[in-house]
Amino acid sequence: MRWTTGLMAAAALTMGTALAANAQQIDPKLSDYKPVSGVSGSLKSIGSDTLNNLMTLWAEGFKSMYPNVKIEIEGKGSSTAPPALVAGTSQFGPMSRPMKGAEIDAFEKKFGYKPSAIRSAVDALAVFVHKDNPIQCLTLQQVDAIFSKTRKGGAGKDAATWGDVGLTGEWASKPISLYGRNSASGTYGYFKEVALFNGDYKDSVKEQPGSSTVVQGVASDKFAIGYSGIGYKTADVRTVPLAAKPGGKCFDGNAENAYSGDYPLARFLYIYVNVNPNEKLDPVRGEFVKFIYSKQGQQAVVKDGYFPVPSTIAEQDLKAKKLVN
Amino acid sequence: MVAPVAVERLKLEVAGAREASRARAVDIQSLGEPYLWALGGALAFGCLMIAGFLLLVAWNGVVTFWPKPIAVVTLADGRKIAGEPIRSELFRPGPEVLAKLVPDQRAAIARSDGFAPRTLYRVANYDLYGDDFLWVTSFEARSVEQPPGMMLFERLEWGPFIGTVKSLTADGRQQAPDLLGPGELARLHGEARARWQRIREIERGDIGAVNHALEQERLRLRRVAIDQGEASAAYAEAKARLDRRQTDLGQRYEALAAEAKALKDRDARDSVVLADIAGKEKQIPLSAIVRYYAPNAMGWSDMLVVYLSRWWEFVSEEPREANTEGGVMPAIFGTAALTILLVIAVAPFGVVTALYLREYARQGRMVAVVRISVNNLAGVPSIVYGVFGLGFFAYFLGGTIDQLFYPERLPSPTFGTGGLLWSSLTLALLTVPVVIVATEEALAAVPRSMREGSLACGASKWQTIRRIVLPRAMPGILTGIILAMARGAGEVAPLMLVGVVKLAPELPIDGYFPFLHLERSFMHLGFHIYDVGFQSRNSEAGKPMVFVTTLLLVALIFVMNIGAIMIRNRLKRRFAGSQF
Repeated sequence: MRWTTGLMAAAALTMGTALAANAQQIDPKLSDYKPVSGVSGSLKSIGSDTLNNLMTLWAEGFKSMYPNVKIEIEGKGSSTAPPALVAGTSQFGPMSRPMKGAEIDAFEKKFGYKPSAIRSAVDALAVFVHKDNPIQCLTLQQVDAIFSKTRKGGAGKDAATWGDVGLTGEWASKPISLYGRNSASGTYGYFKEVALFNGDYKDSVKEQPGSSTVVQGVASDKFAIGYSGIGYKTADVRTVPLAAKPGGKCFDGNAENAYSGDYPLARFLYIYVNVNPNEKLDPVRGEFVKFIYSKQGQQAVVKDGYFPVPSTIAEQDLKAKKLVN
Repeated sequence: MVAPVAVERLKLEVAGAREASRARAVDIQSLGEPYLWALGGALAFGCLMIAGFLLLVAWNGVVTFWPKPIAVVTLADGRKIAGEPIRSELFRPGPEVLAKLVPDQRAAIARSDGFAPRTLYRVANYDLYGDDFLWVTSFEARSVEQPPGMMLFERLEWGPFIGTVKSLTADGRQQAPDLLGPGELARLHGEARARWQRIREIERGDIGAVNHALEQERLRLRRVAIDQGEASAAYAEAKARLDRRQTDLGQRYEALAAEAKALKDRDARDSVVLADIAGKEKQIPLSAIVRYYAPNAMGWSDMLVVYLSRWWEFVSEEPREANTEGGVMPAIFGTAALTILLVIAVAPFGVVTALYLREYARQGRMVAVVRISVNNLAGVPSIVYGVFGLGFFAYFLGGTIDQLFYPERLPSPTFGTGGLLWSSLTLALLTVPVVIVATEEALAAVPRSMREGSLACGASKWQTIRRIVLPRAMPGILTGIILAMARGAGEVAPLMLVGVVKLAPELPIDGYFPFLHLERSFMHLGFHIYDVGFQSRNSEAGKPMVFVTTLLLVALIFVMNIGAIMIRNRLKRRFAGSQF
């Protein structure tokens, strides 16, 4: 397999037609995954639905190397991951947000050590609008004023119409139609924490059961706005560049800005694993983690529309799990 | 003969009566026609809705797999894109868009009242550009053509590729495409796919069997260790046996692995370099191409071949790429198995309950309460059944079974988690009221005279029920079961708790003892629709798959219902002959 070469170019969003932004590149320093012998058994993953497709892609890739490993994937929301790990019904707990203190405590109470987090991919949580929407930039405060009824971000007044966030012409008087996720989702929690400054969502947010439903909702509603993982972007929606502070520079939700932290809604996607610090990880799980951090594994991340992790993070996490020396 | 005067009087009287009836307001209650019209209208409306829904699903589902032409669009700045046109729409370009256009274009838009058409193209090649769909407005496109050379390659990974063959490497030797004979690519591709199938067979089937045998031995050893302790003689014997088998199976594994490796090495020597419209190249193994075709140069018959082969792949293959491509065979299988198990569980339960309630129980307050409870059960939300199934069946019953019969596999649960058995039992609970009510009605409809006749002939109560009542009630009972089946096959919400998964590693039936594995989790068409429609990365690409899967689910339920109805009709005929 030959990887495409070329630089990651920022998607040029002119006139609604973003043409030929080059595909995302993976870190060439990541290692190539080589299958080892003696790996068999079954794995079960229960957790985030943001990571659902990605887990499935990893499972497919892993299975093509180890045809006799059985992998089951269930993704009903990040909040379902910790209980399943504690009960031992799953081996992997993908989560789109870090575990909360209470969840870690519950785990520690049962096993005597903390769960290990694997930073498997980078997601830029995107704010989507309809493809014809001319809006060029939003600050987090504006986003807060649009989505929140408490406005803890410090916006002076509620943003109910597109005119309130600076659009003119036919847009100015049109009310903003809100789309969001349901409360079991880690995306809901993360957006509430970062974009809403822990405030409360407006009651008018239409809560959707899945990440891609949000995008479909925005695609079919010209005056809509919604948030979801960047991987779910389609040709019918646009992502809005975001600025962290009023008057600050707006950044696109692309890999560069996500890595540098300029894009305010970038986050890691985690996979939690039950690793006893005094024992070596069993071969199946260990190899799966190695696979995630390999070229093939991170290529799957790109395939699913997220951003791959750099090799430094891969090495850090692999060392922490004692998988490499 | 009537006197003329009398006739005149009669005429007058009739006219007077007419006058009177016209004056009296007609009571609408007494007229039948308006109600007839209303009823007929309601029926027509219902039929129209159902037909409309089925047509929508069928049309969208049927056209999905038909090969679409590939258009090459030359943009105003000279760049070219190639893709399948998906749909077009009119839109009103905003002032910031208009500001960037040249006056000619602005004038053209103004002429059509400020609207401009745009077309969505599926440009594929996701691995090269990170976009698989693109809107192109009419003022951006300079020309659109359909060159016959453009080809679409369906790949195992990354979705389709639209472009041309740049060069071909067969057995390590590179060839330019113009040096190839016409059938050469097809022949090499066929060979590569056959090799790929063989590798899969070895890895899944043969090596799978070796691993299964090994796993069984390991479990046997653990079982002995749990039952008799690690110090016992039986343990030592089992251990020796395991070691023996391990070397044995190890050798077989090595041989098979070597065979697979050789095939894979051979496979790696056949590859193809594809180039997209902009000249960007991508090399992929020949076996990673599922099928390829040049739609612009194809006739009807060739298109039909592609169409049918896609359908065949859809119903016979496993899903790929997180369920957005490939087939849904495991889901079809899971749905059918679930429904059949559901019927096996629900029929005896429902019929026995109804028999007792109607024939044996003393009709009193107690029976009335039971009956009302059963009717209320039908109104409980299905997700509640799911929670009950998870708590009672999976965790309580399943957990107990695991501790008693599968201690060697703990802590990984065998029956102690969602699975096919628990799902079908949960659905059986959900649908049992339907069967009970239908059976009771059917039993009540058997004429009293028949029972009395039978009893008068000296038959016992049970003989009467068995020989006279049940056969007569059978068509009605079957109707209840058919209703239950249809309800159960379309139900998804409770299943999400008790055993349906996005990706099930194995079918519930395979070649290893005991062949039917009721404890395994499974895939389901209903859940597949939810998953592809609401969870897949690219909802644009997922949408047609939703329609296809819905079409398939409706067809599956239809076939199962037809089957049940045919059985019912045969029974009806059989018992119709044995009347008094």
